[in-house]
Amino acid sequence: MAAASAFAITPHKVSVCVLLQMYALPTQATPPFSSVSQHNRLGLYILSLTKSYDDILEPKLEDLISQLREIGGSLGPWLIDHLTSRVSSLSSPDDLFTFFSEMRGILGGSDSVVIEDNQVILDPNSILGMFLRRCVLAFNVLSFEGVCHLLTNIGIYCKEVLSNCMPYELHRLDGSSNDLESLSECENMDLENFVFGKVNEEIEERKEATERVSFHLHATQAICGLVEDVEVVTDPRSKHHDKGTEDCPHVHHPGTESQDVDPYGEVFLRTNWQVQGYLMEQADAIEKHGGSVSFNTFELILRQIKKLAPELHRVHYLHYLNSLYHDDYFAAVENLHCYFDYSAGIEGFDFVPPSGSNNSARYEIALLCLGMMHFYFGHPKQALLVLTEAVRISQVQSNDSCLAYTLAAICNLSSEIGSSITAGILGTSYSPETSMGSSVSVAQQLFVLLKESLKRAESLKLKRLVASNHLAMAKFDLMHVHVQRPLLSFGPKASMRLKTCPVNVCKELRLCSHLISEFASETSTVATDGAFSTAWLKNLTKPMGSLVLTQENESGENFHALQFCAQSSSIPRSVLQILGSSYLLRASAWETYGSAPLARINALVYATCFTDSSSSSDTALVHAKLIQHLAAFQGYKEAFSALKVAEERFLSVSRSVLLVLKLQLLHERALHRGHLKLAQQVCDELGVLASSVMGVDMELKREASLRHARTLLAAKQFSEAAAVAHSLFCMCYKFNMQVENATILLLLAEIHKKSGNAVLGLPYALASLSFCQSFNLDLLKASATLTLAELWLSLGSNHAKRALTLIHGALPMILGHGGLELRARARIAESKCYLSDPSYSVFEDSEVVLDPLRQASDELQVLEYHELAAEGFYLMAIIFDKLGKLEEREEAAASFKKHVMALENPQDEDPLLNLL
Amino acid sequence: MSSRESCRSELRTAIRQLNDRCLYSASKWAAEQLVGIEQDPAKFTPSNTRFQRGSSSIRRRFHTNDVTSTPPAGVSYVSTPVMEEDEVVDGDFYLLAKSYFDCREYRRAAHVLQDQTGKKATFLRCYALYLAGEKRKEEEMIELEGPLGKSDAVNREVASLERELSILRKNGIIDPFGLYLYGLVLIEKGNQNLARTVLMESVNSYPWNWSAWSELQSLCTTIEILNSLTLSNHWMKEFFLASAYQELRMHNESLTKYEHLQNTFSFSNYIRAQIAKAQYCLREFEQVEVIFEELLRNDPYRVEDVDMYSNVLYAKECFSALSYLAHRVFMTDKYRPESCCIIGNYYSLKGQHEKSVLYFRRALKLNKNYLSAWTLMGHEYVEMKNTPAAIDAYRRAVDINPRDYRAWYGLGQAYEMMGMPFYALHYFKKSVFLQSNDSRLWIAMAQCYETDQLHMLEEAIKCYRRAASCNDREAIALHQLAKLHAELGRSEEAALYYKKDLERMEAEEREGPNMVEALLFLAQHCREQKRFEEAEVYCTRLLDYTGPVSSMI
Repeated sequence: MAAASAFAITPHKVSVCVLLQMYALPTQATPPFSSVSQHNRLGLYILSLTKSYDDILEPKLEDLISQLREIGGSLGPWLIDHLTSRVSSLSSPDDLFTFFSEMRGILGGSDSVVIEDNQVILDPNSILGMFLRRCVLAFNVLSFEGVCHLLTNIGIYCKEVLSNCMPYELHRLDGSSNDLESLSECENMDLENFVFGKVNEEIEERKEATERVSFHLHATQAICGLVEDVEVVTDPRSKHHDKGTEDCPHVHHPGTESQDVDPYGEVFLRTNWQVQGYLMEQADAIEKHGGSVSFNTFELILRQIKKLAPELHRVHYLHYLNSLYHDDYFAAVENLHCYFDYSAGIEGFDFVPPSGSNNSARYEIALLCLGMMHFYFGHPKQALLVLTEAVRISQVQSNDSCLAYTLAAICNLSSEIGSSITAGILGTSYSPETSMGSSVSVAQQLFVLLKESLKRAESLKLKRLVASNHLAMAKFDLMHVHVQRPLLSFGPKASMRLKTCPVNVCKELRLCSHLISEFASETSTVATDGAFSTAWLKNLTKPMGSLVLTQENESGENFHALQFCAQSSSIPRSVLQILGSSYLLRASAWETYGSAPLARINALVYATCFTDSSSSSDTALVHAKLIQHLAAFQGYKEAFSALKVAEERFLSVSRSVLLVLKLQLLHERALHRGHLKLAQQVCDELGVLASSVMGVDMELKREASLRHARTLLAAKQFSEAAAVAHSLFCMCYKFNMQVENATILLLLAEIHKKSGNAVLGLPYALASLSFCQSFNLDLLKASATLTLAELWLSLGSNHAKRALTLIHGALPMILGHGGLELRARARIAESKCYLSDPSYSVFEDSEVVLDPLRQASDELQVLEYHELAAEGFYLMAIIFDKLGKLEEREEAAASFKKHVMALENPQDEDPLLNLL
Repeated sequence: MSSRESCRSELRTAIRQLNDRCLYSASKWAAEQLVGIEQDPAKFTPSNTRFQRGSSSIRRRFHTNDVTSTPPAGVSYVSTPVMEEDEVVDGDFYLLAKSYFDCREYRRAAHVLQDQTGKKATFLRCYALYLAGEKRKEEEMIELEGPLGKSDAVNREVASLERELSILRKNGIIDPFGLYLYGLVLIEKGNQNLARTVLMESVNSYPWNWSAWSELQSLCTTIEILNSLTLSNHWMKEFFLASAYQELRMHNESLTKYEHLQNTFSFSNYIRAQIAKAQYCLREFEQVEVIFEELLRNDPYRVEDVDMYSNVLYAKECFSALSYLAHRVFMTDKYRPESCCIIGNYYSLKGQHEKSVLYFRRALKLNKNYLSAWTLMGHEYVEMKNTPAAIDAYRRAVDINPRDYRAWYGLGQAYEMMGMPFYALHYFKKSVFLQSNDSRLWIAMAQCYETDQLHMLEEAIKCYRRAASCNDREAIALHQLAKLHAELGRSEEAALYYKKDLERMEAEEREGPNMVEALLFLAQHCREQKRFEEAEVYCTRLLDYTGPVSSMI
């Protein structure tokens, strides 16, 4: 009984049966199908009707009719006419009985049926045949009451269309004919205002997105103006366009049709399979787009499902996801518990092997989910407790796959513990255990855990898990320093060698990518062919033969979905996501190791290939990386305009990533332009972001104090800058952030250089150099070499040769991978070396110095780095003076003056502000 | 409060009017109260007191602090003039319709009244339609059971009724009964705010309709809502407040109200049952038992609220009394959810959990929102070690009423049983939040913290401290507190709690291993503190107990 009743016969299904009959018995049709393709198209349409899951409710007759008009072409009116007349002719229970026994006739396999020519015999085992059989069966098990209900419902179903002068509005109209009624309705008609609500919500969100900056930066007119400007200039068209692509096209926004659940029972849920598919897709959408999915819209749909199918517990899970991504902790906890109380963890988890599961409860999955939820909300302690419990219960229940996943979750947790969810801009929000004692041993523990988890996943053949474990491993290798102790000596005095292993990172990343060739056997069939049907139905508006879609298609997302689905085996989204993150990690790795082009290429690959499948926060991260790159290589103008586009696109999601980026860029630029006050404010802002309510983000904190030190340096407060850098160094050392220390040492060297104590700076530079060497930070090493050279140079002209050799050694790296600033610095330093070398004479080969200086000043002008630019022009002016080229000298001097003036009165004019 | 005589005459008229409008349960309630008013000795006749015997004995036993019936000063009760009927003689059609109605042929009744315009006729027509819709709804609920559970069937008359009644209300030609019906319709439509207003209007103009009061009460889910109501001071309001307080778990307030009401309605079975309910919630089982014994003697065929009595009997493990009760309600009306629940309780007490589940299931079939049956069924499943089913049952109870602390507690227990103490904590926290003066809940939570897996002793101590402060009957908390402090090496605190525990055991004249443990610890502690006399005292007391300890000394 349960199996039979799992498929209820509804008016819509009766309509589909009628269509099937038309499809199968084409001779009865007076105008037969003009072409095979037309016939096939009808078949495809019927197939899609039975499979698609774009909505939870079965379409009404009018929807069906309008779709038929789309696909039917010339045959459309005839199809519609036949359908409506056939359905509306069912007026007594006996008509229904006859109808369904006729339906049995178009199934093949029974001998009694007289086969007409041209008849398409439906294979009883084909999808459509099965559908038909289920309908017939569902009808046959109906009680008489059931038949009566069906008949009434068919009546209502038809009436709405046939009295087409007043379709659905009918109820509404006569319902609110008097104002008292509407008055009473007003009180609970929040649904009515829903559309407004949504718009308002969006506006609010938009405001919030922008105000968050201005709120914190309650100071300078400059920034406020800047932010205002961004808002004003925003192109409304691009706004609209971005909404279309980014505002999650998969989430179904209920229009008027689901505003109120019809009290008269004409609303039917689709089949269980379709609703599950819908829910799965929505879950994907929520996980992908995070907070940008409108909370209330979806909540409304869920409530509707709950009302129509109270035993469909998966709805609670969706409630959970929805509240999770809207940061509603209490609702999330409630719904999570509710879901697992009802379902006992059996419903709807793809990694539970369907055959092996003997319906025993799987509460360990509840623990796993709860743990991840706590992790998401930034409660690492609770998360750890819950996950430990999950490990124990999975062991007791011998649920190996859950154990593997739990271990992976623990790894993830312990590698990110202490840093808040707002991950740093570098993407690798790594900071070792802040509160857990000796961190080296914890790191080792994590390493063991990772290895263990990887082994387990491999033995269980959980391919996705294996891949993501490889990713985690790569991340670990990237950020952790391997401590190598000689085997024989123990104790604290044993010499330690620290190093990183880029080779391991590469290896792990490569292993991760193997996933794509292995996933083939794992396909979630529910998702794929249903998705195809859904996409097909959605694209009905396209002209005939629309499977060959053209690029003019506006909603790019659908197009991709269709293309993917049209392939024989599409790649599951989760696989794509893992692959995507491997590229993201690659980009971060190359960033760390100092190869700008490779980092950029990987980020670009991610941005072009994986944005559809990845979460929007990851996408925002990639955009942030690319924009950073842009700022370093093309200047701020480009970067800010790109940032504006990105901000528009990621309106509500992951604002923090873009916010941090914006602050970083503003800070850099302020430093270059000499706006020290502004720089300090931005820097303080960053500091505030680092220790938000959710917890301290070590990565961001380090960044903020580093920038603080640099600001102080720029303000020539050397001892303060040095003090800040020192304390920062201590902090990093304490938390075992060795890799970061290389940067800090370099900064210290820089401070000493600027303060004129070159001798003091030398050891720092050397230390930084050796750090870079052992951690394989090539670009940083080049820049440390440059600083070293500058230090030598400032010790006197007799060291110029040595400095020049150093610079020449670093130049290939700097010119290949360095940003504008580094390149310019290197060139100026090079020419300074030449100039201070006593054996060099300007008159012999002036181009050796002039050429680098020219290039440097060009680059610096792009960057608006006034101080350095002034230096470059100054040198040029002197050289021209020596050479007697007075005209050029004047020109250079004028430029020099301009930059010095700009540096001294930074508030003067800011072309970029106007541009933004 | 108005005099007994005026109450009586008001009620008599009200019963007639309610009966006239086929509002039977309200009229039943009013009649019960009418009989519950204490007779003046002058008119004392044996037939009148048939339902009032025996009750004085309860009063004697439990009215130690006899409430002298001084109503709170400054409250002036309005005596609403009894409503005048608009037509003195019912029309013939009305009589026919009422007969149809009484035979439960609602649609027919409504049809007969189609063209009648009097207020009474309009009301009866609408009410009949409403009930016809309800009946059809119940039937459809069975018919429409889909693959994923029952989708809520709706009363199809509601929309048209709402339209009609709202017009009537707007035009000011609606009587209090019509307002009551309008309130019902609005509740069905989910428009709670308007429903509250409408029901308030109804009870203010006609206070004797208890059904209206109870609908209003179901809409008062928080004390804020309750306080925001503007109700005229009629004595019926006291009944309403008492029952509302009870629903809001303000048991003591509600008890006071009921005791006050008992001055006038001293023989009301309803009030007695409500008092029993409040006492039950305060876990005064002895009193509940006495009250119910009396009640059933007066009213032997009563089924309402008797399931609570069975719970008490269950808790006291009175096998034969429970079986007798089960037999009696079974003979009275076996298809009442309460009856099924009592039988379920009986089987559960006998340890026949499968059968017990069967009867709870039947109770739920009769009323799927029957809260206590879900919870009790959960308990049975726990006994049967079918934790998933238990969790499911408890969860349904919680979804019906999220303030049911027993079900939350049951959920916690079920998860704890499966070895998921941290997960269970969530549920214990919920239950403790709802019933923060119940030591059992605190102890359960403390035990969760104490488990080997969590081992969060500080939190456990906090919970035990709460438990100890709210009258821990089984005296677990003090002992555990002492033990935990000892474990954490805080011997001063441990000694303090052991001493308290010891005092308590002495006061209650209990002995046992706990006593030995306490004495032993105190003796050792005093010895370490070099307070040898005290240590000696404890040691001597220890000698009274046989076993390894005394031989150790």
